[in-house]
Amino acid sequence: MDSLVAQYSRPMHAEEGQTYEDQQELSQMTPELSLKFALPPVASSASWLRAMTDDYSNPNCPIKIAHGTTTLAFRFKGGIIVATDSRATAGNWIASQTVKKVIEINNCLLGTMAGGAADCQYWLAFLGMQCRLHELRHKRRISVAAASKILANLVYSYKGMGLSMGTMCAGVTPQEGPALYYIDSDGTRLAGNLFCVGSGQTFAYGVLDASYKYDLSDEEALELGRRSILAATHRDAYSGGFINLYHVKEDGWVKHGFSDTNPIFWKTKLEKGEFSNVTADLV
Amino acid sequence: MIPPPDGGACVAMVGKDCVAIACDLRLGMQALTVSNNFPKIFSYGDVHLGLTGLATDVSTVSDLFRYKVNMYRLREERNISPQTMANLVSSSLYERRFGPYFVSPVIAGINQTSGKPFICGFDSIGCIDFAKDFIVSGTASDQLFGTCEGLWEPDLVSCACSGDMG
Amino acid sequence: MSSEWPDTLAAAPGQYAACGRGEEHGLGVHWEVLLGITGKDFTIIAASKAAMRGATVLKASDDKTRALNSHSLMAFSGEAGDTVQFAEFIQANIQLYSMRNSMELSPSATANFVRGELASALRSRRPYTVNLLLGGYDEIADKPTLYWIDYLASLAPVPYAAHGYAQYYCLSLLDKHHHPDIDFAQGMKILRMCSEELKRRLPIDFKGLMVKIITKDGIREEEYADDQNVAVP
Repeated sequence: MDSLVAQYSRPMHAEEGQTYEDQQELSQMTPELSLKFALPPVASSASWLRAMTDDYSNPNCPIKIAHGTTTLAFRFKGGIIVATDSRATAGNWIASQTVKKVIEINNCLLGTMAGGAADCQYWLAFLGMQCRLHELRHKRRISVAAASKILANLVYSYKGMGLSMGTMCAGVTPQEGPALYYIDSDGTRLAGNLFCVGSGQTFAYGVLDASYKYDLSDEEALELGRRSILAATHRDAYSGGFINLYHVKEDGWVKHGFSDTNPIFWKTKLEKGEFSNVTADLV
Repeated sequence: MIPPPDGGACVAMVGKDCVAIACDLRLGMQALTVSNNFPKIFSYGDVHLGLTGLATDVSTVSDLFRYKVNMYRLREERNISPQTMANLVSSSLYERRFGPYFVSPVIAGINQTSGKPFICGFDSIGCIDFAKDFIVSGTASDQLFGTCEGLWEPDLVSCACSGDMG
Repeated sequence: MSSEWPDTLAAAPGQYAACGRGEEHGLGVHWEVLLGITGKDFTIIAASKAAMRGATVLKASDDKTRALNSHSLMAFSGEAGDTVQFAEFIQANIQLYSMRNSMELSPSATANFVRGELASALRSRRPYTVNLLLGGYDEIADKPTLYWIDYLASLAPVPYAAHGYAQYYCLSLLDKHHHPDIDFAQGMKILRMCSEELKRRLPIDFKGLMVKIITKDGIREEEYADDQNVAVP
């Protein structure tokens, strides 16, 4: 009988499996650096990493990090459009044409990846986890501002250690409405209406800026996002593959396909007469 | 020897009583595509010369051989044969041994005397690489090698031979 | 296809030491804007009006073009000194040809002559570091022409072109909006889209564009108002 009483008379917090201290510890967003990641046994790990991975100054560098992308997102009347290409390159080698550069953090929040593929994949997955934990702790969905700040603070804590990422967080929440943030590995975090990130960003800006209005209809906005990525895949050798298109609305995001650029390019050229610098008739 | 710089793709191939030569059309500065209509194959009578490498040298070298082949034709009153062209290309490139043109040429043609197909490739200072099957050159040469090694077989007929290069 | 000096050149001192000048020139040249657009019966050449040296704008009404003959216009950007020297050298030789032969060189012949001079200078002791756009009107073919030439003497005939950072913003825009048979008003509209995009996204002020038009009637300068502000969305 005594043993039975003892079994049911432990303090409440012990039942939960987590002490108050445990919970405090878990809510510390930034993981310990030296505990989680092995560092190379050299004096300056950052410059060592740079020397090993900088294939621009040294084409024979031993580690080739996957780089090169075009991603864009813009706010408009009907919500937010998020679009990316799908090419991963390592040096001049096309490592993949089917990369997913949009991470679905939850059904109202999207993140985009540009820069080091592994960095982006890992830390956006980490952000997804933190957002879910936030939801469980606070019993409501995280704001885009807070989510983007978790990521910004995280990458800032690794500043100078060679992280390479340029991301956007796009989402719609009841408190903020449609919100768009740009975060990069320098620690920059900017709210805005329109961003393009990656090696093909300027080409996307060229097309996007010229036709962008806040009052775009949903169809116009989707087409503009698609066309801007197509422009970048055409001119930037490090962008290509498929166009990944999303529309974020109040009641969550909607995916509008993962479509091959090649038929879209030839359709655009032959039906609309665009890309007139490409010859269709040979010799 | 200084290897030629990155740029372009070219492939030449022998089939049954035929040759084929193909190239890409891109002109770019690193990742930026400047033009999509920059051919790298130049025809001199019966002989076709593919040139990959530094764009300026592709133009310079193709202009130079246009001049040399035209002079040959005036002097000899006949077209240059692929074999003669190969030796002309080789010696012309070696003239720049200590300041080479950054190109890797490829030749494809049919010898009108023997009726036999002929292909060969070069490095940037004129070493000839004779081949009975195919020659690849340029930045995508590794990938082209893979495709050609996998799909080439003797006596391909002309449509199969050119289809291989898609 | 590459239009960039190979890394092996930097690694081979001696005979190529002079060719390294390409890397020597200030980053400033990339901020100079050169644009070219062809249409149904005209070629538009636009060049930024700022003459920049280091952190200073020396002049805000610089003309970066030279007329080679009645139907060819050359726009240039690049190393200070080299640009005007090379352009006027070419101008003098093209004009000499016209006088000697009582006829004008066609735009394609002009372009190939310019390329040849630039290419032979490239392998000389002191190459010219000049990027060029050659706009013309071919009176025999009755067609507008445009040639893109960079400081390595890569030559490409193109329907529209740019040099410097302007390439990165304008080429995609032109890919979308350009058609070979556009009339002059549409051409100017596309040019306006380009200049607005550059004003919006380039971090420096290039002091507006000087715009010249080549048609079958010759070369003329076009008024180009550049006073409105452009908002970044």
